[in-house]
Amino acid sequence: MVAVDIIFAPILLSALVYFLTRGAQHITKYIALGWFVVLFIIALNWYHMLPEDGGFIFLGNYLSVPQFGFELTLQIDALSVAMLLLTAALLILVVLTSWNEKKQAAYFSLLILFSGPIFGVFMTTNVLWFFMFWELTLVPMLFLVGIWGAENRVYAAIKFFIYTHVFAMFMFVGFYLLYKQTGYWDLTLIKEATLATPALIWWLMFLGFAAKLPVFPFHTWLPDAHVQAPSSISVLLAGVLLKMGAYGLIRFTVELMPITTLMFAKWMLVFGLITTFYAGFLAIYERHIKKMVAYSSISHMGLVVVAISTMTYEGLSAALFEMIGHALVISPLFLIAGWLHHKTHTWYMDEMGGIMKKAPYASAIFILAGMAALGLPGTMGFVGELTIIISAVKSWGWWIAVIAFAGLISAGYIIWAVRRAIHGPMSPLVEKADFSMSLAEKLALAIYAVLIVYFGINPQPIFDLANKAFSFLGGM
Amino acid sequence: MSFIILIAAGLLVPIFYRNNIVIAKIIAVLAFILAAYFVFKGESLNSIFPYFVADDATKLMEFVLLATLAAVSLALTGFERPLISQMLFLAGASLAFLETNNFFMFIVLFEVIAIISYILVANIRNFYNAEGAIKAFIAGAVASGIILLGFALFSFTTDSFIYSEMNVSGKFTLIAEAIMLAGIFYKLTVVPMHGWAADAYSQVNHAAAAILSGVIKSVVLFATFKAFYKFLIAYPLATVLIFSFFAILTMTLANFMALWQKRISKILAYSSIAHSGYALIPFAAAASVYSYAGILYYAVAYIFMQTSVFLLLNDLRRELGVKYLDDIKGLYKKAPLHSLLFTIQLFSLAGIPLLAGFLSKAVAFYAGVDAGLWIIVLIALLNSALAVGYYVWIIKHIYFDEPKNNGEVIQMSTGSMIGQLILLAGTIYFGIVAGDIMNATISF
Repeated sequence: MVAVDIIFAPILLSALVYFLTRGAQHITKYIALGWFVVLFIIALNWYHMLPEDGGFIFLGNYLSVPQFGFELTLQIDALSVAMLLLTAALLILVVLTSWNEKKQAAYFSLLILFSGPIFGVFMTTNVLWFFMFWELTLVPMLFLVGIWGAENRVYAAIKFFIYTHVFAMFMFVGFYLLYKQTGYWDLTLIKEATLATPALIWWLMFLGFAAKLPVFPFHTWLPDAHVQAPSSISVLLAGVLLKMGAYGLIRFTVELMPITTLMFAKWMLVFGLITTFYAGFLAIYERHIKKMVAYSSISHMGLVVVAISTMTYEGLSAALFEMIGHALVISPLFLIAGWLHHKTHTWYMDEMGGIMKKAPYASAIFILAGMAALGLPGTMGFVGELTIIISAVKSWGWWIAVIAFAGLISAGYIIWAVRRAIHGPMSPLVEKADFSMSLAEKLALAIYAVLIVYFGINPQPIFDLANKAFSFLGGM
Repeated sequence: MSFIILIAAGLLVPIFYRNNIVIAKIIAVLAFILAAYFVFKGESLNSIFPYFVADDATKLMEFVLLATLAAVSLALTGFERPLISQMLFLAGASLAFLETNNFFMFIVLFEVIAIISYILVANIRNFYNAEGAIKAFIAGAVASGIILLGFALFSFTTDSFIYSEMNVSGKFTLIAEAIMLAGIFYKLTVVPMHGWAADAYSQVNHAAAAILSGVIKSVVLFATFKAFYKFLIAYPLATVLIFSFFAILTMTLANFMALWQKRISKILAYSSIAHSGYALIPFAAAASVYSYAGILYYAVAYIFMQTSVFLLLNDLRRELGVKYLDDIKGLYKKAPLHSLLFTIQLFSLAGIPLLAGFLSKAVAFYAGVDAGLWIIVLIALLNSALAVGYYVWIIKHIYFDEPKNNGEVIQMSTGSMIGQLILLAGTIYFGIVAGDIMNATISF
């Protein structure tokens, strides 16, 4: 019963919390924090329940409509658990980093509302319900970006909403055709029923996931949404929403229709490579600090697509590691970029400079996360990029080693950003800014830093999860 | 029994409402509840009159219709009291219209409902509803003439008018069907027969518009599907061609027109027209086993959300003088509850999940895919994504913009609140639980 409750309870809880705490706004964040800790504990509990040899834990069937083959089937495997843990952890950290947000009752109730469908996306194996949760996550995000965002927030929020909604429609038609072909809405049953899926279905689905990931040329919503969103929400967008795309790609293409995916794997590779390099070059070009981080985020998601395109055990494990690594690495970058804008009132790195002297703590974490993004050994970024390169070379041949240059490009933009914004002569804007940081924010940044280094030195727990998740591909 | 109760209550109510609208409302709601009770017991019309059969799907539609009309009658104010008795008559006629299994009765009751709708648009006067009312009346009269022409042609070729016994293989049947559909398309506001609706829906009193665009259209949709089912099956190619063509034309044109509008009632009017386009897809997919479920789901979901948005707009117009998009800037500060309900219903119209609008589209469009029309479904889905543009644009004005002037915070009246909660409950229930509708249509 717990399983279905944690999906639907947030809807009621958020309405309740909003109307009850409007008078006492400071309480809401504690309720939100408590709820997300509960979610994390439940996810952790499932982590311990995972069977050793992979496969699904069955959590229940609800709201059954047998005539239409439509029911809310909740099943989780190691891949979902990894995503659930990541989501819950990020939600907790997001509460910490938005400790002093305006209009707290509304803000935190929307966050609570968001936690329901996002858990649903990773927990259900019913395709139609997956789609319903997928779409529902957009609604709280629309308001979170549109109300709390920066100057151009309304444009960004609406663009984000419509763009991802339109591409989801292609995916939806793909789901329909899949159901028509097999007669099942449930993933595990569809997998048994189909051998070769028509190319059309594959492409329709790929479009839907590609826009979410995002893959070039469907990425244009991302720089707007991530830049205009408040930093904590950028963390959710980059850390969780983009992961939905990667998760969908693994679940619906590699796992569901391996034969068709094998046919189009090279297209996936091409899209991934173009995304990685294109976004990387754009990041070098940017003066805008948050846009630079946003493009770096796209570039890293391109690497994930390259890893998924290998369709091997090593590749998918590397993809899962990079997904988690990307979430933990890009989040402090977004947070500090947004925080710097908040304090200095400029977005442009060349107008900053000398921040190290006034805000050493934030600068140090920015540099650490930056180093992780460019793949410094001892951080998560290194493990992720190394495993991706190894697996890609194994599958696609030695020439794919060119993606090592992606690391070089990130070194370019990160080091240059650090040079321009963090070091260098102190600019007048930085001179008069007050760089105080609340304890909660400091704590959250410290947790990110610890996690980046911990999993960089000891990546085994995540690879254990990957081992369970992808054992069907012949793991070790 | 239900029919008699509703008509009797409709005659009784005008005696009371001049002095006390509360008593009139209570009588109306009681009549709706009693009618629903007799529908439940299976004694609505079929126990008394011939030619009426209520299957499970029809009963479900009737419950939904009665609940919606009860919600509307609770939300009315004294100024709109004539609507109460008209709604009772409308309910009676609609029950008969939904239950009939005779094509002749279908045509007669279609005209009865048309006449009630002319009274609805015309009788609450304001400065500019004359234009809408005249347009609705003339367009409706033309439609009636066309339907009668088609019906006359059809009656030459068939011996029986019972749905299951009609002869649909006559020489002129296809032409007769096409002519009748042309007339019915007027009522369903299918482009290019939609011109009257954009004006009528936006200019008449919004409570009347709620009934006109929400209730009557849903009822006509469902009853038309039942009446024409045999035609649709008999001429598969013509069905697919006619309905796909008009579906695409209607939704695309209406959505683009809606994007242009500045007036909220006009946006909602065009959105209503666009929804007629989506609702034609189950007609085109009549060959699929899901088509009946699709049309029922669409009618049920649509009646809740469309009625609710127009009623909310009616409240806002009365309390705050809201007409244009500029008037609802920062509305969430002045009318928090109205804003929240309006937003939820707009999301439902836009097809956001966990609301009835999504599942109704999902089932109706699946019928299309099942019949092999996936390209048309893709166009419809892209259209509905385009439609999100103007729905979100309204929501943007409500929540993201700052109000021009800070007025008083307005409260929602109790009656309006109960009515809205009924409609909201419907929107949410049918957005999560699909089982009822699927079970109801299984026997078709």
